[in-house]
Amino acid sequence: MDFIAPLIFVILAAIVVAGGLAVVLLPRITGSALSMGLSFLGMAGLFALLGAETIAFFQVLIYVGAITVLILYGVMLTRVAPAGADRRLFFQKQAGWALVPLTFVGVVATVFALSFQSNVVQQPGGDLEPLANAVFRDYAFPFEVASVLLLAAMIGAIALVKRGDD
Amino acid sequence: MSPPGVLVPGPFGIDPLVWVVLRLLIAVLLVVGLIFNGALLQILMERKLQAWAQDRVGPYHVGPWGLLQTFADALKLIGKEDVRSRFTDAAFFLTAPAITFTPMVAAWVVIPFAPGVQGIDINIGLLYLSSLGAMGVLGIVIAGWASNNKYSLIGGLRSAGQLISYEVPQILSLVTVVLLAGSLQLTKIATAQPGLQLNLFILPAAFLTYFIAALAETNRTPFDLPEAESELVAGYLTEYSGMRWGTFLALTEYGNVTIVSSIMTTLWLGGWNGPLVDQAPILGVLWFTLKVYVIIVAFMWIRLTLPRFRIDQLMNFCWKVLIPLTLTNLFVTATLKVALPAPWDLIAIGILNWGLVAAFIVLIPRLQRRRLERLRERLRTERERTLAPTA
Repeated sequence: MDFIAPLIFVILAAIVVAGGLAVVLLPRITGSALSMGLSFLGMAGLFALLGAETIAFFQVLIYVGAITVLILYGVMLTRVAPAGADRRLFFQKQAGWALVPLTFVGVVATVFALSFQSNVVQQPGGDLEPLANAVFRDYAFPFEVASVLLLAAMIGAIALVKRGDD
Repeated sequence: MSPPGVLVPGPFGIDPLVWVVLRLLIAVLLVVGLIFNGALLQILMERKLQAWAQDRVGPYHVGPWGLLQTFADALKLIGKEDVRSRFTDAAFFLTAPAITFTPMVAAWVVIPFAPGVQGIDINIGLLYLSSLGAMGVLGIVIAGWASNNKYSLIGGLRSAGQLISYEVPQILSLVTVVLLAGSLQLTKIATAQPGLQLNLFILPAAFLTYFIAALAETNRTPFDLPEAESELVAGYLTEYSGMRWGTFLALTEYGNVTIVSSIMTTLWLGGWNGPLVDQAPILGVLWFTLKVYVIIVAFMWIRLTLPRFRIDQLMNFCWKVLIPLTLTNLFVTATLKVALPAPWDLIAIGILNWGLVAAFIVLIPRLQRRRLERLRERLRTERERTLAPTA
């Protein structure tokens, strides 16, 4: 029985990494959006494997069900940009090449520095109650501030795209 | 029910490791069989009901009383030539039906047919169902885009807008029930309604809003704009034929109708509860199925009765009527639940909910009439202004 969990982890991790690579490498933007959905789905699987089922299902509900669909929606309504580099985007590629290794080193260093030292073991019986306690009791104030921030962003977006005629 | 991760030996001394796989296989085959037969039965039911409502006979050629008509249709669909336009986007076009079909099949895992007759009794079953319901949209949008057809694209985009909007009142109505039951576990919600103490009587407003949102989520009339045949040919289904069309429309749509009806049965109608269930738990399957089919017939009845919404009416109805109503309901239910002691909170919530239903029924036609009058008034003044001599 011990070999099954690592096996599932390897499969899910492969899905996440392959999906992430496909987002960057696929030539068509719709394909990228869909592979992003696949990557999110793999992430949800990883959460479920870690015993965080609630987070896994919220991941599917919000990221696969809403955000990927909205991105597809946006992609379909915009025209495909004509080939040919914009002058302002000249250094974009080089900047990407420079930033990727930096971010990679940063993320890996953070992961190894922090998480392996914590002794938190997921209690059996689901993560619903710890999650609810964290969001609505321990960190209620930051949570509310974040939702106010999102509301402000939404109103700002509406104000930006609103035409003057009505 | 054993906790997940613990191996249980199967019947007849089957090895636990083999039993895990075998059990999965049996369950999946059972669910696929249920979905196929359910679709055949419901299509026949729908056609017969439609025929009676329109003073016709309905299908009656194949088999006695037309009973085998949908079987013949299914055989025809499977045997049909696979037609696909050269300009469709092959990979996406072929995977789209699978993307909508699989979440629907996966949702059957948690549906509690009777005590013990359930795939797995997870403690967040309702959240699981909602998240899978949200995944189906992806396939419809992809289908609309990959078909390379204007009508399909409009159908897919309409579907995305509609489904994402109506998810909000749907989930808010579910939350109201969860507040009362104190759990996201489907079996606990079902057992929290003993006898006639059904949530339907305590939370009718939540039932009403969920029912309307579920109609929209399953693309049923009056919310079938993504496949409105009078304006969009068949929406995102236009380029599909044969069994791919069958998977999309027949299997997925009717499967989703069965799932939302099961959710309503569990949350508002007491699930498997009924006479004699305590003596013979397997009777629960019968009561559950009966309740589910009562709701499905209500769905079909509405389809026969109401005309289709316009897209702006659809969005207005969701954002200006349903969401405020569900938010009010949620807010007041939560307040009363905290404020009052045990038996009184249910009574207060019940009275308030029936009040909300009454307000909904009385106020909506009045609001509509006022809006219509204002619109007519504006048109009249505009016409007078344009027709007035400028000289």
